[in-house]
Amino acid sequence: MSDRHVGQVAERVHTIVADIFSSLDRMLASVAACYRASGSFACADLAAVRPEIFACLSRTHEVVAGAGVIVAPGVLADRRRWLEWWQAPPEQDPIFLDVDLDPESLDFYDYTAAEWFAVPERTRRRHIVGPYVDYGGTDTYMLTFTAPAEVDGRFLGVVGADVRAARFEALLLGVLAASPTQITLVNAEGRVVATNSPRLPAGSLLLDPGSDRLPLPELPWSIVTSARDRAISPL
Amino acid sequence: MNQRAGALPTAAVFAPVDDGSGRVEVVVRRLAEAIALGLIADGDQLPAELELANALNVSTVTLRAALAALRERGLVETRRGRGGGTFVLAPADPSTARLRRRLRELSTSELREIGDYRSAIAGTAARLAALRASADNVTRLRQVLARLDAATSVGERRRADGRFHIEVAAAAQSVRLTRAEIDIQAEVGELLWLPYGEAVDPQDVVLSHTQVIDAIEARDPARARSLTEEHIDKGIERLMEFHWRLVASE
Repeated sequence: MSDRHVGQVAERVHTIVADIFSSLDRMLASVAACYRASGSFACADLAAVRPEIFACLSRTHEVVAGAGVIVAPGVLADRRRWLEWWQAPPEQDPIFLDVDLDPESLDFYDYTAAEWFAVPERTRRRHIVGPYVDYGGTDTYMLTFTAPAEVDGRFLGVVGADVRAARFEALLLGVLAASPTQITLVNAEGRVVATNSPRLPAGSLLLDPGSDRLPLPELPWSIVTSARDRAISPL
Repeated sequence: MNQRAGALPTAAVFAPVDDGSGRVEVVVRRLAEAIALGLIADGDQLPAELELANALNVSTVTLRAALAALRERGLVETRRGRGGGTFVLAPADPSTARLRRRLRELSTSELREIGDYRSAIAGTAARLAALRASADNVTRLRQVLARLDAATSVGERRRADGRFHIEVAAAAQSVRLTRAEIDIQAEVGELLWLPYGEAVDPQDVVLSHTQVIDAIEARDPARARSLTEEHIDKGIERLMEFHWRLVASE
């Protein structure tokens, strides 16, 4: 596993991911400041976090499709549940994502059960979910990055960012295409995040990762390599 | 629960039946229409048998036969014991009359087309889900199915069933198939669950979907696809039968 191409892919993945999480860190700082500044933390107080959400969307405009804060039930004084979530349509101002938060409703969006919320809540660590079909919110193939928001040991919820799977792959395309080795980035369940193999396109499931599997530090991802399988002969 | 039996439009529903021939049929049609049009709402209790038979000017034997036919169509249910009686199981959606009209107007070739398209989308989605579903996807499919199993109204069933098909497409990791399935559910979801006795048996659907989930979990793409296609064919055949019946009853 000393292939320099693998090293390059791993490094590129870390750079992209670190960039997204650093945006989330700024949102976390803003949420914490907003929570501390407020006597009784209410929905309207979250307006103070908006500039940081919008900054995240514009700083990483080409990458992040949506970002925001998802508050744990019972944290806000005036709302049981709340998503302060904004989407970034191309060339437009951010749009507020309005979801059904009424538990009585059939369309109730129970985000506490969603992996991107439940895992950071349980582990108090960053998490990446996907790629998955986000039919509830954006109708796209998506990766969701989340980090727990915690103040004085109290879990307030998560901050997060959505990244289109296609966009994430595009960011890796250069290093992947240049590699003579078959390189496949897979998530914890063995689902392909990005690859240079026509046999294993993003979204497929790699049931048997074989032995050449390099886990990426601090990420729920690994890189799997093998001889490159081409549909056409190399030029 | 609404108790609107005394309200004005309903009074006409319970006015004497007096057209001479086929009284059971007339009573069935009048009550079915009233339920379809929402004149008698979901959960409404029909007047006691004797009272209703008197109001409609039919014998209790005729009335009972009519109620049996309505029960068979899934339009009323009879509960025993204290607080028992005959209750309307109306379409959560008062647009049943509109749906029936739509189904009557659809040609069999159009119904076949709907089936062909559903098979292409849902069959492929099931095949790919068997190749690509994660353990989480399977768990979610079972949760949605449990919701369908526990549903008590037509509206809930339709929503849970639609959600099941959408989840299968999402488990297939395909945005396009998921969108297509959402469109299909919006277009024909209501028709598929149109309340009409034998038109659809929820337990049948639950069983069929369970087998599909099992095939997905077992990573058997061919079986997942063929079970899904069979399920869809059966649904479309029911709609065709229903369509002919509606045409014949004109």
